[in-house]
Amino acid sequence: MSVQFTLAWRYLKGRGLRTLLTTLAVVFGVTLIFGLNGILPPLINAFTRNLLSTAGKIDVSVTSSFSEPFSNTVLDEVARVSGVAVATPEVQRIAPLPQPSGATAANAVAQLNVIGVDPGTAGRVRDFPIVAGRALSTGDGNVTVLASDLAAKLGVGVGGTIDLPSSVGSTRFTVVGLLSTATLPGAEQIFVPLASAQTLFALGQRVNAVEASFLPGVDRAAVESAIRAAVGPGYQIGGLSTNSSLLASLQVSTFAFNMFGIFALATGGFIILNSFRTVVAERRRDVGMLRAIGATRGTIVGMFLVESVFQGILGTAIGIVAGWAMAAGGLAALSPIYESIVHVKVGGPEFSAGTWAMAIVLGVGVTILAAIVPARAAGRVTPMDAMRPQLGEVYERRIGTRAWIGVGLVVVSVFCLATRQPGLVGLGAVVFLIAIALVAPAVVTPLSDAFGSVIELVFSEEGGIARSNLQRNPGRSAITVTAVMLGLASIVAMLAVVTSIFAGFIGYIDKSLSADYMFIPQSIILAQGNVAAGPRLAEEVKHAPGIGAVGTLRIAHGKVAGAEVQIIGIDPKAYPLVAHFEWNTPSTDQALTQLSSGRWVIANGLYASQNNLMLGQAITIDTPNGPRVYHVAGVGNDYLNAKLATIYTSQDNLARDFNVTSDVLIMANRTPGSDPVLLRKKLDAIVTQYPAFRLYAAAEWRDSQLAIFNQTYVVFYVLIAALALPSLLALVNTLAISVLSRTREIGMLRAVGSTRRQVRRMIMAESLLLSVIGIVFGIVSGLWLGYALVLAMSSIGWPMPYFVPWDGIIATIVIGLGFGVLAALVPARNAARMNVVDALHFE
Amino acid sequence: MAIVETKALRKVYGEGNAEVRALDDVDLSVEPGEFVAVMGPSGCGKSTLLNMIGGLDRPTSGGVSIDGTDLTALTDDKLTELRRRRIGFVFQFFNLIPVLDAVENAALPLTLDGDPKARDKARTWLEKVGLGDRLKNRPDQLSGGQQQRVTIARALSTEPALVLADEPTGNLDSKSATEVAGLLRQVATDWGRSVLMVTHDPRIAAYAGRLVLMKDSRIVDDVKLDGHPDAAREAMERAGLL
Ligand SMILES: Nc1ncnc2c1ncn2[C@@H]1O[C@H](COP(=O)(O)OP(=O)(O)O)[C@@H](O)[C@H]1O
Ligand SMILES: [Mg+2]
Repeated sequence: MSVQFTLAWRYLKGRGLRTLLTTLAVVFGVTLIFGLNGILPPLINAFTRNLLSTAGKIDVSVTSSFSEPFSNTVLDEVARVSGVAVATPEVQRIAPLPQPSGATAANAVAQLNVIGVDPGTAGRVRDFPIVAGRALSTGDGNVTVLASDLAAKLGVGVGGTIDLPSSVGSTRFTVVGLLSTATLPGAEQIFVPLASAQTLFALGQRVNAVEASFLPGVDRAAVESAIRAAVGPGYQIGGLSTNSSLLASLQVSTFAFNMFGIFALATGGFIILNSFRTVVAERRRDVGMLRAIGATRGTIVGMFLVESVFQGILGTAIGIVAGWAMAAGGLAALSPIYESIVHVKVGGPEFSAGTWAMAIVLGVGVTILAAIVPARAAGRVTPMDAMRPQLGEVYERRIGTRAWIGVGLVVVSVFCLATRQPGLVGLGAVVFLIAIALVAPAVVTPLSDAFGSVIELVFSEEGGIARSNLQRNPGRSAITVTAVMLGLASIVAMLAVVTSIFAGFIGYIDKSLSADYMFIPQSIILAQGNVAAGPRLAEEVKHAPGIGAVGTLRIAHGKVAGAEVQIIGIDPKAYPLVAHFEWNTPSTDQALTQLSSGRWVIANGLYASQNNLMLGQAITIDTPNGPRVYHVAGVGNDYLNAKLATIYTSQDNLARDFNVTSDVLIMANRTPGSDPVLLRKKLDAIVTQYPAFRLYAAAEWRDSQLAIFNQTYVVFYVLIAALALPSLLALVNTLAISVLSRTREIGMLRAVGSTRRQVRRMIMAESLLLSVIGIVFGIVSGLWLGYALVLAMSSIGWPMPYFVPWDGIIATIVIGLGFGVLAALVPARNAARMNVVDALHFE
Repeated sequence: MAIVETKALRKVYGEGNAEVRALDDVDLSVEPGEFVAVMGPSGCGKSTLLNMIGGLDRPTSGGVSIDGTDLTALTDDKLTELRRRRIGFVFQFFNLIPVLDAVENAALPLTLDGDPKARDKARTWLEKVGLGDRLKNRPDQLSGGQQQRVTIARALSTEPALVLADEPTGNLDSKSATEVAGLLRQVATDWGRSVLMVTHDPRIAAYAGRLVLMKDSRIVDDVKLDGHPDAAREAMERAGLL
């Protein structure tokens, strides 16, 4: 074993630059995998902790499909289901808090989510981590426990009091305990005894939720469906988070992050594979000599094994440290953005066992594999063959079959693209990348002819030599082209996704909201439907002097074929004056008019595609008043509800079938010529009476959303840059190798009279030629991959139009060419400086 | 008993139209301590002959035995072991591992064999070939002649029965070339190894005690040399190879 170690060690030391480059390839791959996956869990945790912290051990939550209170008997039905450990009844209602006069809306708590719990059983379902005072106990009267951060905002401590408006005037609750849980603005919760809540909201013996936790190890899906069967129709069974658009967007970012991760893995893997393959190829003659003087195949493989294990472990270790730093830095950068969007503190990086495993498997496993596979092949060659000049011809003959397989795959991938099915488009994109890798050696020659003439405009004589250099060893050139393509494709794809997300949303805002003012509930989660104002607010706004059109949104919940759907009620006449539908062809504004003429609906794109809806199709909606048949008038999206399956109908229908008459969102226009300052004063005065709402000028709101996007943009660019680096490293690496392996040839060129300048320019031209071909492939496949990702995101609940990232493409071309030049600089200089005699004798 | 013994040795490369008969019914034997030069036009099969004898490739038909061991019957691992222990190699190019120093390169076959005294033995041989002051240098810090001397030290370090040298001086200036040729003669006469050397240069071949002439994949002549510098050239003229 010791010979392998000595040889390996000497090669590592003696070929310092190469060792550095291959180890760096491992480092970047691991950094990316480890770092990205360390960032994600804290982000997800921050959300779940805050959305669900108080949900504790709740496994399932049973509520009325129509958000109505129901009889206590449901509790027993749930509790009797086998697999349920404990079930507890709850009342959950919003109570507005009287605002101290003069308070700005910005940070004040306007409403409380009052949760009435059964002190006897609640502790077995929810966590109540008490930091001061005591928990609720049986027999308590009007007392409450709440999170200490919320208590601080409200300015109360243990022993303090909170007055809540009730059906009988006002009820005073005494604070008896504080919790260590964090509070999400818009979801400020206080806990009171069930009986007190029932009195407060005049519910009698009724409740509006039953929370249950399961016995450990049960089949969750089976228990859930047993509960569903037990309680019968009219109830919604699910976790608290099922409806949250925040979680939906979290899923989208998880998906995007994972795509980053997969790209990183693929690119990292390819760089590592390629680096080690060239290391082995370069040592072909040494291997032959070692075999000749008596080294066994095992010794040869052992030598490469030791090297790759060493570089794998070193690279992985550095990569893990760098990944940790990247995650910590990334989170530090992301934290303020998250806080500004959802007021959530994000913790430090977290690395799961899976992340460690993935990083180590990639860093060490792929590295070893990348070295062992070619090393075994090299060991099998007879010493004689190893020492004779390269067998370029053999490789070229094999290109034929490969290229045809590649062409076949291109056809398959185009077919996949044409289906427009997210899964198939995604598959097609990956197949396309593989296809290009296979076709590359065959098309390098014609492509370099095509682009060569452009390059030769700048590099007149050297361009021709560079071109024939590429064409002489198409296999080697193809590897470089493939490396460039892979790197750039992932960058372009991510740029396409990011552009589509942002351009899409800003487009949505601009198009779908033409209102000047908006009254928005504090909770940005519209779907929870727990905030509403009677028609009075809209009336008051309408009568404010200087206000033109006013449109409102109302919300109800129903079911179609057993599946939950949110139904938005709009005024078909007023709505187009303050907002706008983004229509899916062939729908038009005509659909809005239709809403007034009976039971018609407009479905948003997400809902329509999930259910394959056609114009004019009949759908039966379960309403609190029984099933009702509606018809589809059109398909279109608005900004606020794009992420949720939504249907729109007239507010008349909503009142008649769903008994809903209160507004959750009010949009208003200013008449031209009115005084904006006066009007704002008036509107401010109105909104103070409705503490659940905030007033925004639409421009302010748009700006605030833009600010968030811009900050997030930066984060994405940082991530993209991190992704780009290893790819560009691969470019530098492959180019350096290709120059290195031609040392002797370059010596010959110099010997027959090429000047240093000509050699330099020849290598530069070659690098540029390779880059241009790689860039073209990279952009095409990147746009394709991006399209696949955008489609995939639509399928998981975030519909968005596909935008071609023109800026990104230009940036990619510039960066690609820039790195092409950069990659050539050092090898070109070295080649030009090479001593002619040494070069000719180079081994 | 002969160190090298080939019987009706034949090697064919490729198939059909591309078939090349590189060796055709070659019978050759080399005695212990004999220094044999092999000459002939380019492409006549000299390297192929050496590679077959060295166990670097397998013959199409016929037999090769080294020191009584039939190579054709050996597994790859046994063959590798035989190369390591019984044969020393000197090639024209690619002789040394560029990242190892002179001692390590010379010690390589012994190290591969797990010999704990590898370095000491290598050092002794390097001193014998006149490189006592270059022990720590890597190949790129040595001249071509010095590199070939390291190769010869390596070839001798395992105390092999046979040293095979394929154009060992092809890459050297004439002064270094004659030094290396003298050293190879010393290997045979002073240290008792059999040496089989391929060369293009009649003056280098003249250092050998016997000359084998090849043409078109066959041995065409086999003569004793008397040490005179022109002996090899004259033998070639007689065989019509000049
Ligand atoms: N691996 C191989 N494949 C095909 N032909 C070969 C191979 N090795 C040698 N040859 C051919 O065999 C013949 C003898 O080659 P070689 O022994 O190298 O000649 P030389 O006498 O110059 O050393 C030549 O025609 C050469 O082209
Ligand atoms: Mg030869």
